Amino acid sequence: MIREQPQIADIWVYLSGSPLFALVVTLAAYQLGNLLYQRTNKNPFANPVAIAVVLIALVLYLMDMSYQKYFEGAQFVHFLLGTATVALAVPIYKGFSILKTRLIPLTVALVCGGVISIASAVGIATFMGADAAIIGALYPKSVTAPIAMGIAERLTVSPTLTAVFAVVTGILGAILGSFILNLLGMKAWWQRGFAMGVAAHGIGTSRAFAVHPEAGLYASLAMGMHGILGAILIPLLDFYIR
Amino acid sequence: MISGLVQILLWQGLGELVSHFLIPILPGPVLGLILLLVFLILKGHANSSLLAISDAFSQHLGLLFIPAAVGVILFLPQLKAHALAVITALVVSVVLTITTTAVILRLIARKDSNDP
Repeated sequence: MIREQPQIADIWVYLSGSPLFALVVTLAAYQLGNLLYQRTNKNPFANPVAIAVVLIALVLYLMDMSYQKYFEGAQFVHFLLGTATVALAVPIYKGFSILKTRLIPLTVALVCGGVISIASAVGIATFMGADAAIIGALYPKSVTAPIAMGIAERLTVSPTLTAVFAVVTGILGAILGSFILNLLGMKAWWQRGFAMGVAAHGIGTSRAFAVHPEAGLYASLAMGMHGILGAILIPLLDFYIR
Repeated sequence: MISGLVQILLWQGLGELVSHFLIPILPGPVLGLILLLVFLILKGHANSSLLAISDAFSQHLGLLFIPAAVGVILFLPQLKAHALAVITALVVSVVLTITTTAVILRLIARKDSNDP
């Protein structure tokens, strides 16, 4: 017993120093989050990313491991974010045929929705006295997280805060969306779906697909358009405002 | 699937080059996305390996931003200090965004259907 203790500690030190530990924790936490999400019939409250982030934070806290140390290993997952962003071209391309039939209403609604999203979030946060780091990270929060983080880097605000705000926005949109749209008396599935995609990107899109396939199709189109237009217009907007 | 991944990585590389030399305001991956999208529209179809890899990525897109999102632990004191402002901003903003988008779509669609 006594002789085994240092050996285990040695192995432990070795493993936590290699990328393997961070990779296993990241994937296992996501796997668990995904399992809960499926078990609860894709309830937006059981968002797999939110669950994974909380679990990993707990593990790091319990093990007294710094975020920097964790990220050294997890950066291999992080790297693929850019690749996944490029891959978003394919679903956007699939939605392109329906875009052609309703190009003008969809573009007008997207631009107005996007502007309101930024103006209201930034306005309220400024009015309530949030600091500049938080306000800056709110600009791209309705854009799908991988693109939003790219925009955040260009705005020189924290991609981490932006990712967190984007995930929370997605969850809120998925939870509140149907309720708001019913209250407004919205009947057309394409309009309901598109509104969800503009406001709540990927998480809203997944919710829209669960409600109705046509809503899901338009939500994913909205998410793609918001991603591209957001990446072009938000840095310009920020340049003129700040 | 591997050939799809190679294609994506090449577009990503091209996007990075365009971002670095021509349009620094746009992130490389976003330019890669735009270039690939234009290519697909011009070509008229996406090959099966590209479809396979993009399905794999979009199904588990959430996994890829976990490492960055865990960084929220560094911002906890800051977020706690401004918790009310952040929560109010996020909730009101998402409600207004859904409302604005939906109402504008309905207005334009209604106007269109009234026209002969």
